[in-house]
Amino acid sequence: MEMTEAIVRAASAVGAGLSMIAGIGPGIGQGYAAGKAAEAVGRQPEAKGDITSTMLFGCAVAESTGIYGLVVAMILLFANPLIK
Amino acid sequence: MNVKGPEILFEIPVLGGIPITETIFNGWLVVAAISIVCFFLGRNLSVRNPSKRQIVAEKLVLTLSGLVENTMGKNNMFFLPYIGALFSYSILSSLSGLLGLRAPTGDINTTVGFALIAFFLIQFFNIKNKGVLGWLKGFTEPVAFLTPLNIISEIANPISMAFRHFGNIASGIVITGLIYGALAGLSKVVLGWIPVIGSIPFLQAGLPAILSIYFDVFTSFLQAYIISMLTMVYVGSANEANQ
Amino acid sequence: MEKFQEFVAIAPWTMIFTWVNLIILVLIMKKLLFKPVLNMLAARDKEVNEMYSKAETAQSSAEALEKEYSEKLSLAKEEAAKIMKDAKHDATLRGEEIVGEAKKEASAILEKAQKEIEREKEAAINEIKGDIANIAVDIAQKVIEKDLHEKDHERLVEEFIDGWGEDK
Repeated sequence: MEMTEAIVRAASAVGAGLSMIAGIGPGIGQGYAAGKAAEAVGRQPEAKGDITSTMLFGCAVAESTGIYGLVVAMILLFANPLIK
Repeated sequence: MNVKGPEILFEIPVLGGIPITETIFNGWLVVAAISIVCFFLGRNLSVRNPSKRQIVAEKLVLTLSGLVENTMGKNNMFFLPYIGALFSYSILSSLSGLLGLRAPTGDINTTVGFALIAFFLIQFFNIKNKGVLGWLKGFTEPVAFLTPLNIISEIANPISMAFRHFGNIASGIVITGLIYGALAGLSKVVLGWIPVIGSIPFLQAGLPAILSIYFDVFTSFLQAYIISMLTMVYVGSANEANQ
Repeated sequence: MEKFQEFVAIAPWTMIFTWVNLIILVLIMKKLLFKPVLNMLAARDKEVNEMYSKAETAQSSAEALEKEYSEKLSLAKEEAAKIMKDAKHDATLRGEEIVGEAKKEASAILEKAQKEIEREKEAAINEIKGDIANIAVDIAQKVIEKDLHEKDHERLVEEFIDGWGEDK
């Protein structure tokens, strides 16, 4: 293995790890959304179904950024475009 | 451990070789399964005294049509079969991972395919409802210098849809693969000294099943719901002008 | 020799096959599931509506019938009352007639009886007259004890009787 490739692989692994920092945002956001949903269910228990589906939908959309980070990490690890 | 893409099963030697991958083949299986289920459910419907099978079919159709009507409006009800097809294809593709197949939705081309259909539908209805000039003018609103941002956000929609679905399912595949690899290594370390039993990775039973309930079942339902919902919301809002 | 595609790579044929699959699926689901079920639901709606309208017409016709019957019933009652009244009236009239006839008959009988009585009386008087004449002759014979001449005798009696009859 050439030196440059080894460096690129190592850097890619570090980059994949760093890209997963993107998971922090959705985590906070989804926790906040779930908390608000719990509040809403407490206030209006009869709307539990609607609140749950809305929360899941919002969570899934808010998850996008985390998923982008995950995809970038997976590309760097398993389909690295920098290594030919 | 090396995570691979879909395996190329064989190639059709026309047009420079069409590679038939696991994704395409499993997609066919999913289509066949859905067709059989539809044939079974939609058979021998009676107006009076519906059978249990017919009640299930009615419930499915009514739930889905209620969802489409609430989200897209009455004038978009002709999307009902597409939303049904998208939802069922997505969910059965994701769930096929439970049977040991490689989920077609774990291939980015499938989800990009879903997203591109939504993207083209959105642009088609925007052009149809506003005219070509109105559609082009829509990018310069509210201010002209935001045009690049508008274009980027328009393109970002399908990309985010595709990557969200792909990322969730593919991460399931990757994590399941990693856990299987790790458990194989662990059982080799723990039980490897026993002559015959040591070669069987016992620890692979149990834990992956529990994890697959989250990574396969829950995520499959959620992502199928999300991609259908987003398609409905985007296409519905593009085609609500003539309501 | 197993060949694999990249984990994240654009493969146009996969995408095209996805589209083809989706289009086939749309057609199949539309033909096998949505169309039959929606048609069946529409047919059921139609049937339910028809049933409702049928029930409504049946109810309204039943109400009309009920009204008609009650009207007929009240009419019949009225008629019965009228018939009863007429019958009473007739009966009264007839009764009066009968009573009148009876009275008439009774009076006729009475009259007849009176006439009879009168005639009987006359006959009786005549008889008595004869008897009296005989008795008188007997008495006179006895009283006078004189054997009168037959001629004288008869004349005397006639005189007496005439006188008696004129006296009366």
